[in-house]
Amino acid sequence: MSLEQYSADMKRCIRCSYCKWVILSQIKSWRFARGCPSEAFTKIHTYSASGKMGVSLALLEGRFNYSSEGLLDIAYKCQLCGSCDVACKVCRYFMEPLEMMRELRARLVEEGQLVPEHMFTIDGLRAEDNMMSKTKGERGNWIQGCDVKSLAGEKGPVLFHAGCRLSFDEELSPTARKALEILKKAGVEVGVMGKDETCCGGRAYDLGYRGEFTKYAEHNTEAWRSAGVKTVVTCCSDCYYAFKVLYAKYGLRKNVEVLHVTEFLERLVAEGKIKFARKLPMKVTYHDPCHLGRLAEDYAPWNGKEKKIKGQIVTWEPKRPIRRGANGIYETPRSLLRSIPGIELVEMERTREYAWCCGAAGGAKEAYPDFALWTAKERIEEAQSTGADALVTACPWCERNFLDAVPSSGSNTAIYDIVDLVGQAM
Amino acid sequence: MSLRRDIYQALEDIVGPEYALVDEPFLDSYAFQWGTELFRPNGNKFMPRPEAVLLPGSAGEVQAIARVCNKHKIKYKAFSTGWSVYAAPYTEGQILLDMRRLDRILDIDEKNMFAVIEPNVIGATLQAEAMKVGLNTHIIGSGCVSSPLAAATSFLGHGPDSLFMGQAAENLLAAEWVLPTGDIVRTGSLGAGIGWFCGDGPGPSVRAIIRGGSGARGALGVFTKCAVKLYPWPGPAQLPVEGTIPAYHSPLPPQIKAYTIAFPDWGAYADAHYKIYDAEIGYILHRQYNKLGEDLGPAFFMMYIDPTKTIDDLEEMLERPEIKKLTEEMRVSTQIVLCGMTQGDIAWQERALGEILAETGGWKVAAMSDPMMEKFTLLYLIRLGFKGLNMVFSGGYRGSFSQKGTPDFAVGYRAQAASVLAKHQKTGLIVEAGGDSMMGPGGGMGGGGHIGFEQFCFYDPSDLASINAALDYFEDAAREAKRLGLTSGYEARIFEARLTEQEKRTAFLSAPQPALYRYQRQIKDIFDPNDLGDDQYAVMPKDRKGA
Repeated sequence: MSLEQYSADMKRCIRCSYCKWVILSQIKSWRFARGCPSEAFTKIHTYSASGKMGVSLALLEGRFNYSSEGLLDIAYKCQLCGSCDVACKVCRYFMEPLEMMRELRARLVEEGQLVPEHMFTIDGLRAEDNMMSKTKGERGNWIQGCDVKSLAGEKGPVLFHAGCRLSFDEELSPTARKALEILKKAGVEVGVMGKDETCCGGRAYDLGYRGEFTKYAEHNTEAWRSAGVKTVVTCCSDCYYAFKVLYAKYGLRKNVEVLHVTEFLERLVAEGKIKFARKLPMKVTYHDPCHLGRLAEDYAPWNGKEKKIKGQIVTWEPKRPIRRGANGIYETPRSLLRSIPGIELVEMERTREYAWCCGAAGGAKEAYPDFALWTAKERIEEAQSTGADALVTACPWCERNFLDAVPSSGSNTAIYDIVDLVGQAM
Repeated sequence: MSLRRDIYQALEDIVGPEYALVDEPFLDSYAFQWGTELFRPNGNKFMPRPEAVLLPGSAGEVQAIARVCNKHKIKYKAFSTGWSVYAAPYTEGQILLDMRRLDRILDIDEKNMFAVIEPNVIGATLQAEAMKVGLNTHIIGSGCVSSPLAAATSFLGHGPDSLFMGQAAENLLAAEWVLPTGDIVRTGSLGAGIGWFCGDGPGPSVRAIIRGGSGARGALGVFTKCAVKLYPWPGPAQLPVEGTIPAYHSPLPPQIKAYTIAFPDWGAYADAHYKIYDAEIGYILHRQYNKLGEDLGPAFFMMYIDPTKTIDDLEEMLERPEIKKLTEEMRVSTQIVLCGMTQGDIAWQERALGEILAETGGWKVAAMSDPMMEKFTLLYLIRLGFKGLNMVFSGGYRGSFSQKGTPDFAVGYRAQAASVLAKHQKTGLIVEAGGDSMMGPGGGMGGGGHIGFEQFCFYDPSDLASINAALDYFEDAAREAKRLGLTSGYEARIFEARLTEQEKRTAFLSAPQPALYRYQRQIKDIFDPNDLGDDQYAVMPKDRKGA
């Protein structure tokens, strides 16, 4: 793809502002009506998807150049959370705002327009194969002392992929260990890559570094093939999205089932392989990670062309699949939570396909930490408004950002990964 | 940055550096607007680039900006949510005020049934909050993403619920108005220091100055707060929404019902509207689904409420026998929502509607009363969050033959409007939706009394041939409207924007109501002596003042 391929989208964008709000039919209050963290934080139209449509068209038309003041900030002060995308597609079949924004970033990278903070992260990735700027030799530390097969040398059907955040974030690493223990206890023949595990490449893709993404996607899929892996399971929603959607988009996900840990756990609960022994008397609310929710729909390859009917109605031949957040992983984590004795699940106003982002994604936490924390605090406040004791999520990037935001939010809301609650109840 | 450094600094000092934008990418994002391709040459998607965009955080900041602009004779204009070319500068050299930071609902007075709002409050948020206390707000035809303040003070404002809730101009109570000069006027009861409850006194009564039928479109000062009337809502405190995106729908209690009612001919259609007004029934009355064309509308909406389908299924839907039958059945139809304040009320309204249909030969379209379709219609018309479907076919649309009048007047010009559109649809360069793509409210003001119609024309804004074909149609429509003696509608705005001062003078003098432009000239001279308002405010050119 290229930015130019979205020029028709840019011209068909009507600047209606749907992209700034949660889906209009779903607005339940003034307080939690905003959908786009970038626009809500800056209060400037330019940062919305529609604003970026205008900016990108102006760029393509040569009204300013790639080094123009403000352009990098506009492109990158955004989590690429996709809220704009689903809000837009309620009424439009031919618009792809999220894809357009990704192409804008890729073009900026191609043109040598780089965000310094991201350069640091990408340099770390190139040198150490992770997005945490940590030494690659430390990657397997989280698994030390755990009796688990290494699929770096042996073969096995199920690979547990910890991901960069859970591998290196010492406060969160126990979640990965817990997930692994639960799988093993349930009799799953699971292995890990340990210190040989590498980044999924998804974050590099979001930052516009396509070469780095392809490198890691090819490496990982080859490692899976060599190890005879049939199923990859991960606790990280970002990795899940990369494996399930981005790898498929690049034709690299072949004969491998990708599961988020919640999907695997739900399966094990249903099969009676996980049994809960303890009650957890808690009122919790669930945060839909963007990469597990609206962005996680299966990717269906499509190769066709625009076909106008009735003169000017834009359709496609053959029929083009539409990704608008309908089939994300929404019910699975909720079902899992409900299955834990004692837990009362309450919903926030913005849920499922129109959930508010945690704030961490798209390079925002690296380049714009204030913005990332503000976004998380908004979510914590929303969680608090439900009366819940805890905010539960299913992604370590979300969890990290929430944990970082809690102290300055004035909230006493507890933050959990869903795996931790499952583990506590077993 | 072509703005003089000292002027820019003065403006930046008012709003702060983060809210004073001068870099090209920011400015171009504000020049990028819906419909621009019709107003600017060669399909240009950008209106004139503003010199700067400022985001004031209070009326005081707006006032300070206005004073700097007056001192240096710089044109400026403000927008609220900013949808359409009207929100952008018409000419070079202007400063644009984005009112985004003023986005609060300041009060909902449950007892006296009004809300005090700032410019960036949208219909959806106001409605969500009002419903919590058993009230509802009028949402204008452009949908719930639009600003109720902008509609009430500065632009058009009828919509599906106008039958029950009036149009935005009727709902305007007191307001805080920063004049073009920077002076602040508090209108109506607010000016007398006794609250927001009345727009017309005690205190300054200036409704007819700040707005006529279509408002000054941001060209006559800045409204920083206003109060709008609210209306009873007997439904739940939160609009319940079910279903899979995009086919959301709203299950509401049995005292709230939605129907598509159809008629054997246009005479019966008009008669039914008079009878509905006389019977004082209905919460919403709107010819909504026909906006996508009488040939395509029924198929599209049947497709839309099935979340497994996409626009790629439209051709197949159009071939289905039951859809063909439905299309024929709905050619003369409209949508109505009945909302009973009590069970007795809804029973009475149902009975009255039944009698009206019996007397006019009309009927309820059975397929549209399917529970799923009814729930979709309720959500659509109550929240009006699907208005973006106006552009679902090709990305571009604009209205034409947009008129308001008695039902007989509206149905009287409908056929001619349809035939003009049908002729142009044959080119294949605009969407062939069926000649009658007339949409509009069945009550353009509170209590009914007149219909508003708007004939939709769909084109592809990414295709210059399609844009030009649409322009050909709009030119033809404007000519035909004039020949029929109609007042100028949306189509005429396109061509007015292209007029030279000399041409404008000629056009205004030959308009059906030339005194209007002289009157507006006088208002402008008094309230905007330095001529800093945008050119969208249609005034007689200065040297013919009083001519």
